[in-house]
Parts: sequence; structure tokens; C-alpha cells
Amino acid sequence: MELPPLPGPAVERASSRWFAGVLGATLALLGAAAAFVVWVDPFQQYHLASRYPPRFYFLHHRYIDPGLAKNQVYDTVVSGSSIMENTRNDFVARVCGGAAVNLSMPAMSASEQRLMLATALADRPLKRVIMVLDFNEFAGGVDERQDVAGPLPRYLYDRNPFNDLPYLLSWDVIVKSWRIIRGDTSEKFTSDPNAAWFWGNVVRFGRDQVLRGLDIEHLNARYQQPQRTIDGMRASFEHNLLPLFRGHPDTEFDLVWPPYSILVWLDFAQRDQLQVSLDFKRYVFEATRTLANVRITDLQNDAAITHDVRLYHDIYHFAPAINERLVEATCKGRSRVEAGTVDEFERQLRGQVTEVNTPAGLAAVIGAPDRATGEVTR
Amino acid sequence: MLFNSYEYLIYFLPLSLAVYFLLGRRATWAVGWLVAASLFFYGWWNPKYLPLILASIGFNFAVGRALHRRPRHARALLACGVAANLLLLGVYKYADFAVRNTADLTGLPLALPHIVLPLGISFFTFTQIAYLVDVHRRKAQEPSLLNYALFVSFFPHLLAGPILHHSEMMPQFASATNKRPQAFHLAAGLFLLAIGLVKKVCIADPLAPIAAAGFDHPEAIPTLTAWLAVLAYTLQIYFDFSGYTDMALGAARVFNIQMPVNFNSPYHAMNIREFWQRWHMTLSRFLREYLYIPLGGNRRGEWRTTGAILATFLLGGLWHGAAWTFVVWGALHGCALVCLRAWERTGLHLPRVIAWALTFLFVMVTWVFFRASSLPAAGAMLRAMVGANGSGEAWAEALRHALALDPQASALAGALAFAVGLVVLALRRNSNAMALDFRPTWPRGAAVAVGLVWSVLQLGKVAPFLYFNF
Repeated sequence: MELPPLPGPAVERASSRWFAGVLGATLALLGAAAAFVVWVDPFQQYHLASRYPPRFYFLHHRYIDPGLAKNQVYDTVVSGSSIMENTRNDFVARVCGGAAVNLSMPAMSASEQRLMLATALADRPLKRVIMVLDFNEFAGGVDERQDVAGPLPRYLYDRNPFNDLPYLLSWDVIVKSWRIIRGDTSEKFTSDPNAAWFWGNVVRFGRDQVLRGLDIEHLNARYQQPQRTIDGMRASFEHNLLPLFRGHPDTEFDLVWPPYSILVWLDFAQRDQLQVSLDFKRYVFEATRTLANVRITDLQNDAAITHDVRLYHDIYHFAPAINERLVEATCKGRSRVEAGTVDEFERQLRGQVTEVNTPAGLAAVIGAPDRATGEVTR
Repeated sequence: MLFNSYEYLIYFLPLSLAVYFLLGRRATWAVGWLVAASLFFYGWWNPKYLPLILASIGFNFAVGRALHRRPRHARALLACGVAANLLLLGVYKYADFAVRNTADLTGLPLALPHIVLPLGISFFTFTQIAYLVDVHRRKAQEPSLLNYALFVSFFPHLLAGPILHHSEMMPQFASATNKRPQAFHLAAGLFLLAIGLVKKVCIADPLAPIAAAGFDHPEAIPTLTAWLAVLAYTLQIYFDFSGYTDMALGAARVFNIQMPVNFNSPYHAMNIREFWQRWHMTLSRFLREYLYIPLGGNRRGEWRTTGAILATFLLGGLWHGAAWTFVVWGALHGCALVCLRAWERTGLHLPRVIAWALTFLFVMVTWVFFRASSLPAAGAMLRAMVGANGSGEAWAEALRHALALDPQASALAGALAFAVGLVVLALRRNSNAMALDFRPTWPRGAAVAVGLVWSVLQLGKVAPFLYFNF
């Protein structure tokens, strides 16, 4: 096998000009595209939006959060899954002091929480991290991610511009940039940097919402949450979060067990996840009790919240007012899990689950099912 | 590293090319650089598998040298060498398949080893088996480990072929002229690379979600939608593989290396034999030279020929993947070739249009087995194609249905890919023909620049969180 013969010096010279011209034009066009993206920077990777109102695109947390982590001014981070999206930065700042940024992301895994916080911590010393722990984030392997989370643009989670090409040379990003320049608002986004991911004002809360499409006998049928094992959860916590606590002794980590509705715990009981969850809470306490920079706040036995389904959008997601109570409790040192309270918290929660797992207990929370139709009324 | 990635197109290829030509006056350094670059290319995905490919290269080089030096023990050495390669392939590619089937047959609770398949192992193993056989046949010999390492690891063919013959590559690697930049080949290579990138990124990739959505739910889609999903896959697999091959040939060409053509408008074939003469041509060549002919070929009677054809296609099917779907796919193609031979003996001829349509239809329907996740899934898709799930929808409705099957996919990109793909398939001249008589004209240059820019900009998709109905 041989190369096709060279067609002669004239074609070789023409080829030389052609190659240089095509390559030059290609690189010039790509360079122009990259420069345009850097200038507009719709995901705020190089600078915060200042020439135009920022666009926090619907469900683009994984693209925009690293930009906020790198460029926003803050010393306090709120980190959690979708349940923490309704937390306003200024409220955190007012209650906890300092300047805050909310870097929550929906269906967050422990590895994503680590990556997000490592990005923030690599950039500046942090005074405090309010870190809301979801049981589901520790499901599966240590690097497990939920399929629904979509791809994770890891290249944005550092300061290395040479790996940013998927952002700089992306037609999707160019289109977003162009729409910003034109003032085209056809995409769904919010513009309030104080509440970038806030959705509490566009959905309804209440008992009807919570019970919508819910099979009380099989609560997980709607949510399809994965089964967890204590070994898997421990491995994930040790791999993803403990190194963060140990590596940043000057940062205070406030771990928070969020107040899911008591129906979540009923779901855990229905699919044999109750003991695993309680064991994991105990493990987290034991694993962090010697770390001076880690504190734990637990709101999961606060029946005033968890038994009032009017405060929820579904069995997991609570109203913005509860986000504020969570932040207040955390920063004011209420509901702290300590050696003297850990047993009592667990006993209370276990008792609440036992109670709600009875017809009368369940009826007290969601109302009684109609004998004829089976429909739950109150 | 994939050809259709930023790191390859923007960093790796230009850098490896520039340094190669800078070192061109020192042949050993240039070859050494290209080997190092190729191993880096291979290790980018997972460096854990670098020792595997290095060991494979070292082992086969040693066996090749021994074959050359000890002709008296050649048969035993060849048998050992080929067996070791097949064992490697067997362990990494077929262990799970074998254990699962053993467990199914015996009822034993055997645990699957779950061995991750190293990239390109099927290709570099077959390349080296061919080398050992060629050395045994006195058609090849390689005294330099570095040159041999380059022959096996040269990055344009490492992951997805073409499957090379030592004799067609080594003279090119040895040529001093080829280590100096030649503008004509640079231009022709860039041209071919651009065609391949456009095929892959602008045609194959937008079709993938349409095919996937159909194949993911074959039990729920009506007839026309099922046919559209299968057609989408028929186009996708061709443009994906031939696009990747064009990029490989283009990348080799800028290094002044001509690799063998792997696709020659296979969907223009008038019968299934011609299809295999046009589809993945270097695999067909390998199977013919190193399996079909050693099994007797067509010189030992019809029954032996039939057996050789079926065995070749069964193993060829299994080479594509460790699943019964691939075995069935290979068996169907083998049976089709046997039927073709019987038909040819009758002396009857079909009109060309009918011959083409039958061939295309057969290839398209058999892709169902290639793409389906299991035999039951393939059965469900075939049932959907014959109307088991209802067949009342209109064409326009079916097209809308197919394009909207995956909410994350762009319906416009999918429709365009369908249209452009069908038009390109119908073209008389394919990318190889265009590269063969390449001339550096400016309209062609503008098309290449636009194609490159547009394709590169399509690589970085922004895909948000998918689940929002919490």
C-alpha cells in the first residue's frame, strides 16, 4: 500500500496555501467563537454577569454553580440537593453572618457535593459550610451519580482554562450568549443572584400536593429511590466528605439532617431502610465527633415541621419558610446533635416512625382514607 | 481519547503531528515520539490498560522473532502465539458471556467476573494475529521492537481499525520522505478528517437518540415508528463507523501514511457478498484470509464451503460483541451468503433495483439484532415492525413520533440528519473517491472550514438536569 503520488510542485504549492488557509480560517472562527463566549460568559465561569442581568438557567445548576463558586464574593456556602434551593443568600448572611452563596444542585450525589465544595474551597478560605445531607446521595458506589442528573461538566470545576473547550466551543453556549446579547428571554431562567435556584414561589405546597399520585402502601413507587446499604453509605461518606472536613480544619462544617416529612420515614420503614438510615446517622455522629470543625444539626424529629404536610410540596421538599428555620437552627446552635442528645433524638424519631406506621398515626398526619373510595380525606 | 473530542482535535493531533515532523530527520526519534504519542492516546481513557497493550506488543514481537529464527518450531510457536492472543481476547471480552451461559446451562450459581473490556483489544489482537500468521507464511518480519510497536499502536487505527497488514504499513513507516511534511497529503488528510467528523457529529450522533428511543421501548412503538428507528440506526451505524474510519484515514494521511479503505458505499451493494466486500473491508479481509480460507474456503466442495461460510460469520458476529444477538446477526448474514450461492447456481438474475432493495432491506432488518439489547428485545422490535403494536399511524405522524421519542434530542437535528444521511447515501462518490482525486480548490476549502467549525461546535452539548417533576 502506498500514498497516492504527489501531483507535482504546483499542486504542492497550492496545497500548502490551501492547508494554511483552511486551518487558519478554522482556527480564526473557533477563536472568535471562544472569545465571544468568554466575553458574554453565560454560565459566569470567568466573571459574574455585570453587563446584563445574570441568567440562572432552569436546571443548569451543574454548569453555573462552579462559576458562582469561583467568582462570587462569599465566605459561607450552602450545599445540598433540591431541598436547599429555596434558601436565599441574604437570609443566610443575616442569620449566620458573612456573605453566602447557595451552591445546591438537584439529585446531588456525595461525589458531586465533594467536587462542588472542593472547587469552592480551592478558591478561597471559607468560614462556614452549611451542608445538608440527603440519605440518597450516599446510595451506590462512592462515585455514583443519579442518571437523571445528566452529564457533569467536570471541566468547569477548576481554574484550568485549557480544559474549558466544551464550554468555549459549544454551539449551545454560543446560542445562549447570542440570546443574551439580543435580549431574547425565550429560555427559562431567573435573574436574582440572591436566590438563583429558588422555586418556592412557582409551585404549590400543601396536603393535596403531597398526596398527589401517592400510593400510601408503597410510597417509593412514585419516587423510585434506590436501596442503600450501611457499608456503601459509610464508604461514600469516608471517601467523599471526611477528607474535606479533615483537609480544611479552619472551615466550620455544619452538617444538617433536613426535616423531610414523616412520610419519608414511613417510606424507609416500608422498604426496610429505616435501620440503615438511623445507623448511618449514628455513624456520621461517631465519625465526626472528634473533629472540632464539624457540628451536626438534626431537624428530623421536629414533629412541628415533619408532621405538618401543609408545609410540603411532596414528601421530601419543604416550603421556603422551613429552609429559613433550618438555617436559623443551624447557625443559632439549636437541635444540635451532641453526645448528650444523640440517643434522645434517635429515640424520638424511632417513636414517631412507629406511630405513623399505624392507621391512627398516619391518619393524624394525612387524614383518614374514605372507607368506600379509599381516598384520603381530612 | 476519541477522534471526536476537543482534546484530540485541538491539542493531541496538532501537537503529535508538529513534533513528529520536527523530529523527522532523526527517524528513530520520530518513530519513538509517535509510539509514545499513541500510547498516551490509548492511556488517556484509562492508563490502567497500558501495561496490557505493552505486554501484548512485547509478547507478539517476541513470538514473531522466534517464528523467524526457528522455522522448525514454527507451527507450535504460531499455535501458541495465536492461542495466547485468543485467550487474552477471550478473558477480557468473553469471560462474562461464557460464565453467564455456563450458569444458565448448568444452573450453577456462578459469579460474573465483570471484566471491563479494554479499548481496541479486538483490533490490536486481530492485527497481531495476522502479523504472526504472515511471519509464519514468510510474508512479514520485523526486527525492530520500536517499529513493531508503532505498527500495532499507531493511534489512527488503534481503537477501531482498519485492521492492518504489516506488509502494507512498514514500508511507509520506514520511508524517510514520509517523515517530512508534504502539503498535498496534509491537505488531503484534513479534507478526509473533516468529512469523517461531519459524518460522525452532524449525521450519526443526532440519529442516535431516535434509534435509541425506539430500541429502548420496542414493545410500545407502532409499525412506522419502528421502521424509522431501525432506519435511523441503519444510517447511524454507517455514518458513525465510516465517519470514524474517515477520520482515522485522514489522521494517518497527514502523517504521510496511507491506510487501507474500510468502507466503500456498502449500502449500494446489490447482494450480500458485495455488501461484505464494501462494509468493514479490512475485517472481511482478515476473516477471509485467516479464517475462511484456512477452514477450506470454496475449494473443498459445497458442504465444506457452506460450513466455512457459516463458521466465519458466526465467529465474525461474535467478534463484534459477546452476546447472542451478535451471533444471530452473524448467522443470518452467513445464511444469506449461502442462499446467495444457491441462487447464483440457478443462473437467474434479479433486476438491479430489486436486488439492491432486497439487500438493503436484509441488512437493515438484521441490524435489529446488532442493536437490540437482547434476543427478546430484538424479537419485540421485529414484531413492532410487522404491526404487532398497531400500524394505523400516518407517515408524518410516525416521523413526528420518532423525532420526539427522546425529549433531550433535537427534533430538527434529527430530521436534518435523516435527510442529509439519505442524500449522502445516494451519492455515487464516497469520501474515499473524493480523497483519491483530491485537489485543493477554494470552494472545497470553504466547505472543509465550515464543516470543521460546525462539527467542533457540536461536540460540547449542554444537557441540563433531566428530572424536574419532583
